[in-house]
Amino acid sequence: MKLKRMFSVVLAMSCMGIVALVAGQAVAADPYPVRPIQVIVPFPPGGVADLVARPFATALEKQLKQPVVVVNKTGAGGAVGMQALAVSKPDGYTLMVALSSISVMPEVDVMFNRPPVYKLNDFAPIALLSSDPTVLVVSSKAPWKNVADFVADAKKRPGEIKYASSGVYGTMHVAMEMFAHAAGIKLRHIPTGGGGPALTALLGGHVDAIAGGPNVSIAQIKAGNVKVLAGWGDKRIPALSDVPTFMELGYKDVEFYIWSGFFAPAATPEPIIKVLREATAKAVQAPDFKSAMQKMETPIAYLDAPEFRKFWDNDANRLIKSVRNIGKVE
Amino acid sequence: METTFQNLVLGFSTVFTPTNMLYSLVGCLIGTMVGVLPGVGPLAGISILLPTTFGLDTTSAIILLAGIYYGAMYGGSTTSILMRIPGEAASVMTCIDGYAMARKGRAGPALAIAAFGSYIAGTLSVVGLMFLAPPLARFALGFGPPEYVCLLICGLVVLSYMTGGSIVKNLSMISFGLMGGMIGIDQMSGYFRFSYGITALGDGIGLVPVAVGLFGISEILATAGSPDIREVLKPRFRDLLPSKQEFRDSIGPIGRGTVLGFLIGIIPGSAHIISTFVSYALERKISKHPERFGNGAIEGVAGPESANNAASEGALVPLLALGVPTGPVPAVLLAALMVHGITPGPLFIKEQPVVFWGLIASMYIGNLMLLLLNLPMVGIFVNLLRVPYRILYPTILLFCVVGVYAVNSSMVDVGIMGVMGLLGYLLRKMDFETAPLVLGVILAPIIEFSFRQALAMSGGSYAIFVERPISAFFLVLALIMILLGLKPLIFRKGDWRDRLNEAEKGCDAP
Repeated sequence: MKLKRMFSVVLAMSCMGIVALVAGQAVAADPYPVRPIQVIVPFPPGGVADLVARPFATALEKQLKQPVVVVNKTGAGGAVGMQALAVSKPDGYTLMVALSSISVMPEVDVMFNRPPVYKLNDFAPIALLSSDPTVLVVSSKAPWKNVADFVADAKKRPGEIKYASSGVYGTMHVAMEMFAHAAGIKLRHIPTGGGGPALTALLGGHVDAIAGGPNVSIAQIKAGNVKVLAGWGDKRIPALSDVPTFMELGYKDVEFYIWSGFFAPAATPEPIIKVLREATAKAVQAPDFKSAMQKMETPIAYLDAPEFRKFWDNDANRLIKSVRNIGKVE
Repeated sequence: METTFQNLVLGFSTVFTPTNMLYSLVGCLIGTMVGVLPGVGPLAGISILLPTTFGLDTTSAIILLAGIYYGAMYGGSTTSILMRIPGEAASVMTCIDGYAMARKGRAGPALAIAAFGSYIAGTLSVVGLMFLAPPLARFALGFGPPEYVCLLICGLVVLSYMTGGSIVKNLSMISFGLMGGMIGIDQMSGYFRFSYGITALGDGIGLVPVAVGLFGISEILATAGSPDIREVLKPRFRDLLPSKQEFRDSIGPIGRGTVLGFLIGIIPGSAHIISTFVSYALERKISKHPERFGNGAIEGVAGPESANNAASEGALVPLLALGVPTGPVPAVLLAALMVHGITPGPLFIKEQPVVFWGLIASMYIGNLMLLLLNLPMVGIFVNLLRVPYRILYPTILLFCVVGVYAVNSSMVDVGIMGVMGLLGYLLRKMDFETAPLVLGVILAPIIEFSFRQALAMSGGSYAIFVERPISAFFLVLALIMILLGLKPLIFRKGDWRDRLNEAEKGCDAP
């Protein structure tokens, strides 16, 4: 009995020791970074954000000489993880890799009269990492040869051509509605649970079109299951060099990218941001990161903080306008 | 046929290298562990290990990750049988009869049959995958939202008939579960529903915390609250293996579970969970002694455990044959392939024969490894029951909390688990079954979303459900089952429910 009590006392003391150790480490104000860094990915593993964040974290780790750990904090279309960063301590130890949808969510909240989960100025942009335009994918059996055919048919039977998206106000929804608005056509929207299910719906013939990422679509094009009518980028995609962009076709404001960026909480001190910017600039040049991104056919599109800020502002304006055009869904 | 054989030889020659054998073994080991730990499912296991495979060669990486995936289906049954905690969502059904068997001291046979069933189902499904992948994948694509709705309606009809006891209580549990499943963002419009300002509730109350809470935590509470101290079970060695009778009873359920699981598994969605309760219901329906179900019928373990293994491998069909991931785990496997520079598409099998056939061959080997791994472990696991409850239960509680937290790194989930544990405890006190509640929560979002997708496709016309052949087929099937359920009303012949009631009365009498 006595032995037992002694044991529990020892146990309690060692626990306290560990706590003191951890706390002591946090107090010491050494040059950043002195302990492991957490990178929040607000989407499930295997998605675009996750696939970019993991090789990037490995490359960043080599620059910062501290472990960089990717944490998938998922939920509510990414809102849960983004909110987690917005309210985290701005000490440079909690960062985030997020996608273009970050700009859409606060606007949707405003539209539904609910308090925004976070605001765009909660975040300090560090760098743009990748950017990939979506493409208009239709079944290879579809009668349309080009965008003009598609638009003409959609005008003839408004609301009858169906497209699938990754979810309401998600990338694939906003991109398609941006085009539909510019072309003055009405399409029928079938939201699904993600990019995979949306592609499944197209291949199964349950919908007629999707606005998909080029990397997944290319395999289906090679197999002759689908064809691509146009792209949302400002220039043609190298692997699909005969596919025109919407801009070439005269739809001036139809521009959409699925991009991923690196963020810190807004109140992060300038010296820490500087360390992160410099480390990121080197990390994106690392051969391992480059080859990982190349294998996934996701183009690296590095922009440092000031340029990224400008790019983000432009992109956010375009997306917010689109979301307002979509309005509330039923 | 001949080319298949040649390809298989190619596959085996790929697998029979020391490194690939090792990766297969490691994958199966991790998978078993991930399956055993409540909360941590194959999805978490694979995504945690995904980055470590970046440096491996493609075939080794996919062999390792796939091993975790199907290995988890073996491990999932362990805690369900021993402690009534589903190790992962597809083992909810196993809790019912598996745990009842364990209480009777038959934990060993239950675990052994689960392993055997999983092995047979796993191996037969690889055969199916090998020969039928391309045509089956095309059939699976035909499953759009309308077909899914009708399949689920059919499933719900089965479900209402399934669990023992009062139909009214069961139906109310299903409805309660369906209502709980409505919490979260409405996927059609983006509205938050019943979330009371908690952003984390946007994705609903989550399958894992609900299942672990309702089954596991409530069991711990019930044990702690019972005045009589349960004696620690002391299994003897000869009790570890199934008797001849138990083997004979299991063969049918294993076979039916395999076919059912594989067919349901190829359908896009979280189908492996659905396959388990359909299998359980089927076994109960055709059994000569349905009243044994719920009190430790070995068929209730053999069927669902085979079904979830077959379904998990069936889910690979659309991924490998078409490059279309149909669930979260295949999506991560797709990502793993893409990281290695392979974008699976319809030409994957032709363009990457080494990867595809290597994977197939590794699954034959892996299933055998898992059987050899799991059978000796039966003895070890059963010995867990010798641990006194005052030590065992706090430990289980710790694992539940850690496991549930790990899924989304979310304290809200841990809170949900706690609330569900209390709810489960109260429901048990009032003699409600918790399985229909869990299944309601699982099915509600799928059925609602598919229903509204289908109506969006048709522009609001309900005719879409009867115009399409597959969906019409399921509706007719559901109708037939309802009519069969009404039969006793007309013919006045007692069905199994009456016998069950009589049996219970018999028990109460002395």
